[in-house]
Amino acid sequence: MTALHHVEPGEWRRSIERALGAGERFGGAWARAQDGGLSWFALIVSAHGVRVIWTEAPGGAVGSIVELVEAAGWDEREAHDLYGLEFDGHEPIRALVTHPEDPAAWMTPVTGDGVHQIAVGPIHAGVIESGHFRFHVIGERILAMDPRLFYKHRGLERAAEGRHRDAALPYVQRACAACAVANTLAYAHAVEDAAGLQPNRELRVARTVLLELERIYNHLHDVGAICAGVGFAPGTMAFAALKDRAQQINAQAFGHRFLFATIAVGRGRVELDVAALDAMRAQLRELRTDSRAAWRELEFAGSLQARLGGVGVLGRDDALRLGAVGPAARAAGIREDVRTLAPRLAYEGFTPAAPHAPAGDVEARLGLRAVELEASFDLLAALLVAPLARGSVGRVEDRGSVGIGRVESARGATACAVELDGDTVTRVHLRTGSYANWPALAWATAGNLVPDFPLINKSFELCYACVDR
Amino acid sequence: MFVLLRQLATIRQRADLTREGSRWLAIRHVDAGSCNGCEHELGAATNPLHDLQRHGLDIVASPRHADILLVTGPVTTRMASPLRSAYAAMPEPRLVAALGDCALGCNVLGDAAEHVGAVEDVLPVDIRIPGCPPTPDAIAEHILAAIERDF
Repeated sequence: MTALHHVEPGEWRRSIERALGAGERFGGAWARAQDGGLSWFALIVSAHGVRVIWTEAPGGAVGSIVELVEAAGWDEREAHDLYGLEFDGHEPIRALVTHPEDPAAWMTPVTGDGVHQIAVGPIHAGVIESGHFRFHVIGERILAMDPRLFYKHRGLERAAEGRHRDAALPYVQRACAACAVANTLAYAHAVEDAAGLQPNRELRVARTVLLELERIYNHLHDVGAICAGVGFAPGTMAFAALKDRAQQINAQAFGHRFLFATIAVGRGRVELDVAALDAMRAQLRELRTDSRAAWRELEFAGSLQARLGGVGVLGRDDALRLGAVGPAARAAGIREDVRTLAPRLAYEGFTPAAPHAPAGDVEARLGLRAVELEASFDLLAALLVAPLARGSVGRVEDRGSVGIGRVESARGATACAVELDGDTVTRVHLRTGSYANWPALAWATAGNLVPDFPLINKSFELCYACVDR
Repeated sequence: MFVLLRQLATIRQRADLTREGSRWLAIRHVDAGSCNGCEHELGAATNPLHDLQRHGLDIVASPRHADILLVTGPVTTRMASPLRSAYAAMPEPRLVAALGDCALGCNVLGDAAEHVGAVEDVLPVDIRIPGCPPTPDAIAEHILAAIERDF
């Protein structure tokens, strides 16, 4: 069960400061409304695990921590918009989820000679999710970019609350197709954490296989998307076909191209017999061979390679400051991966991938996908040595009320916080790798040329759907 | 620019060109609040394994170039207005396709206060493509079947 530490409202900033001083990191924050009052929770992450600090918000206000942790900026803005929570010291607190008419209510003021704005979206030119980007530019040079997301806010968390823990899971899955396994697994882990349940070896292996299959099709997709970002059609098409083959493997083995409905709370939902296992192993071997061959072609494609270096740089210090996670953080030299600390999954001995050069640019983020693909194929080869059984959970602890699940999705650390009353979900909050990385993407955009934005955007390849929820 | 566009639209309308013997329909996609599954599969429909273009169907960047508006997702409150704008920007004749169960109003999850309804609550829907998400082949099959049957 995740440790829950209550602090007095007046001690909020100081307790966060102490945690950071002790080397712990901020991992997300969420509000909860109960009995007419508001509470405020923060997830604190260390090399040994996670814990939660929480406090009440008397009069609907709590001290802001954005001066200590810039990464908490979006969390505070979201709680302000959705729960009306006020943050002392977060001024001005700009709208994030709500869409006020007044530009000053949500945009960074950027003024000066020759500064103008370019508004893009919410509808984009391709088959892309809906969201708005406001570029502040001089000529072709981007000074700053304000992303305005939440066009697809569906109130999924609110709608899930009050439901049985099994009935709430589809709401988490609906947040995002491309992160369906990661998100539902984070949710299942959170509920099992709160309920004092621990998966057995079979269940850990089956869930790890699903998570890696999700990563493989996403990483193949992302490599193709980066090719599309520079108009390198042969690469786009080759990797689109590879991604499709990965999804066909998903469909053949588990009945769905996006692995929907493969995760359940407190039990396994998938199995593979000997014949299906052999088929999957053979298909993955072929896919790996062809992916390597396609990757080599990209390495020698001058018109692609010439566009990657020094573009969209997210340096190590900025990545840390802004709370970047996943491939975006690792490409900047931060060797962090939730898979190194995953007792609920089968990642024994896992080490995070390292880029050839942690430059934090498009080239590093692209190269890291190739390294991580190899690692995922290795993991699957090691796990798929025996038929997969559904597995089960056993009770190891007493039942608690709050649980945390943390999983490494294709986009980085995805955290789910769940509060239970018996088997009823009273609060669920999902903070995905994309949510953590959007401010970092906006930062990495500054100083670049407008025509490079699609490329920079694709090199992060963040979801809108699981941010908007 | 608006004047030029209107002139061009009028010229096109008066020319009344026929397309007998061949088909080339341009699709404009709008995500009205989907989980991104339908977007992935619509993208996959254009990959070399499915090749939507071989059917004379292609995806274009502007609603002004489109014959079909392909809409995904339940329509959220914040996407209703952009969706109507995209439809209004299309030349006539135009068709609307609802892609995926959410767009069809089936098993929509979320807070009702954040949704305005299914696509047909906002626009007249001509083509319905069920699935969660519909497979790339199903997308092409449903569009082609609807065009050959009804239009």
